[in-house]
Amino acid sequence: MAALITHSPILIIAIPLLAAFLTLPIGMASKKARNALVIVSLTFVAFLVFALARDISINGIHIYTLGATSPDLTTPTGFMVPVRIILEVDGMSILMGIIWSIVSLAAAIYSLSHIASETGQNRFYTLLLLMVTGGFGMMFTGDLFNLFVFLEIASISGAALIAFRTRSADTQEGGFKYIVVSAIAGLMVLFAIGLLYAQYNLLNIGALAQVIQYTTLDKIALALLLIAFAMKTGMVPLHLWFPDAYSVAPASITGMLVITSHACMYAAFRVCFTLYGGVIDAPVVGWILIVFGLLTMFVGVTMAVYQKDVMRFMSYHAISQLGYMWVGVGVGLAVLGNPALLATYGRDAISGGIFHILNHAMYKPLLFFTGGALFHYTGTRDLTKMGGLAHKMKWTTILYIIGTLSISGIPPLNGFSSKILIYESVFRFNPILTITGIIVSILTLASFTKAFHSAFMGAELPEYKEGKEVPKSMIIAMMILAAGIVFITLFPSLIVDWAIHPAADALIDQGAYINAVTGAVP
Amino acid sequence: MTSILESGYAFWNPIIWIIAFVVVMVIVYFFRRRGQKQYKKDTAQARIFLCGEEVPEAGQRHIRVGNIYWGFFETLKEYYNQVLRPHTGIINDYILWFVAVTAISVIVLLIAGLAK
Repeated sequence: MAALITHSPILIIAIPLLAAFLTLPIGMASKKARNALVIVSLTFVAFLVFALARDISINGIHIYTLGATSPDLTTPTGFMVPVRIILEVDGMSILMGIIWSIVSLAAAIYSLSHIASETGQNRFYTLLLLMVTGGFGMMFTGDLFNLFVFLEIASISGAALIAFRTRSADTQEGGFKYIVVSAIAGLMVLFAIGLLYAQYNLLNIGALAQVIQYTTLDKIALALLLIAFAMKTGMVPLHLWFPDAYSVAPASITGMLVITSHACMYAAFRVCFTLYGGVIDAPVVGWILIVFGLLTMFVGVTMAVYQKDVMRFMSYHAISQLGYMWVGVGVGLAVLGNPALLATYGRDAISGGIFHILNHAMYKPLLFFTGGALFHYTGTRDLTKMGGLAHKMKWTTILYIIGTLSISGIPPLNGFSSKILIYESVFRFNPILTITGIIVSILTLASFTKAFHSAFMGAELPEYKEGKEVPKSMIIAMMILAAGIVFITLFPSLIVDWAIHPAADALIDQGAYINAVTGAVP
Repeated sequence: MTSILESGYAFWNPIIWIIAFVVVMVIVYFFRRRGQKQYKKDTAQARIFLCGEEVPEAGQRHIRVGNIYWGFFETLKEYYNQVLRPHTGIINDYILWFVAVTAISVIVLLIAGLAK
């Protein structure tokens, strides 16, 4: 077991990668064996992630050096700096890993029925597992170039999965837009990494953080990294591609794409706090995040109210909720250089932002899955053609209500726990932030009520009288996420103490991250 | 207690909220039980009454998504005209936004650096 935990960071990345390439030959022989391979590999990965999380909570940051005689030997003999591929898993990265393992497993279970009638399922699962690999890689890597590589893996597989249903033109358009945006973002990330490498001859995040000077080139690199990752998360006004791509993918993939957005947000936080943490002009960058975060919240929700396509509606809400995270963490970043304010409310603001990532990762894929269930039942995403579906889709209705109450921040659901942390902490920074957040929450509830009435309420429509509830695997997948919501709802403090505060502290404590790789605090 | 979340000013305990909710539901149920007992299901008592007019079919009487919040959209017409304008669906425009936001961010960071 000890050896398993020691090697777990690379196993968590390698197992889905290996399973991805096995899926094709096994799938050609037996569909059941292929499905079993996908579910078993993702379940085992989830087990490893939780085991690693327990280890990190006891022993602190987990380092894994590829190709070294010992996994914690970061600097090879005769070298002054780390040059090998290093995975560095701290409180923040493992929280992202936990989220990714749960959602990817739920998405795979959901897919078993959701894409059962589609052709090309072997390729679907290969791409799904590659996206899982890319996501874990982004979360666990301690190296900038590998961050780019894993970003590309997640983006390319994501684009192919968006365009999976090749029979309709909008999926091809969505996939095309996603790959163009991802390619531009990826190129800008690579260019920024080049700027840093040209100056410091380093790619390791910890080692770079120790020597970075915040020169003019560093500032340009920071802007490129920040805005490229922000575009991938769908930050307003760079969100325009987001609903075009997310609304046309199979619902299970849309749920996973939400988490890849979180992974890009994580990368942006890593850049701001860990890479540039010691030199960054924190108030300025913090305010940039806050201003764009507010825009994202407000424009996202007002655009969502306007939508008539259930998946576009969900997509705009995903954008809006990401704004809360930007604002929470942005406030924490703005006061990063002031220990008194950081202790008074900055840490709580960062914790609120991170807690909202976790909550959003439970209720947003759940809502996308319910959107997929509506599509599965009615064959349309158009809300104007729906009505009275609660008569036939009882489980979907209940699960939709859970997701709706959670995203709207209605007590006692988990969305309320993270929102109250954000509201009460950012209020002390600037009350307008809290007021905007509350208005956005009200609009969120209003728009979800509208969609609920349109799709589920009313008398049973004649065209939908013959159907029946979606298959069990889709219900089970939605229940996994609903169970996550209920657990966080009942034990918010347990989650905050065990996962959220360690994640926030991992961002704030740049020295610990650097020290884990270089053995020296700057 | 793993349920009590300290939020800075105050605390949040979902268990207390759930207990309060259950108590309210019991009270509501109590009043409901005291209601009309002569109600007969599947009789004229349960049919929709529209001032004596003929009740439309289920599909026609359902208020669809396009008719909900009409006043909200009418009031915010100008806002929506502005905010819908960038949503062209053209990828070239999307990338232009990226270039513009990146350029603004670089300028802000550089000017902030000069001001120090």
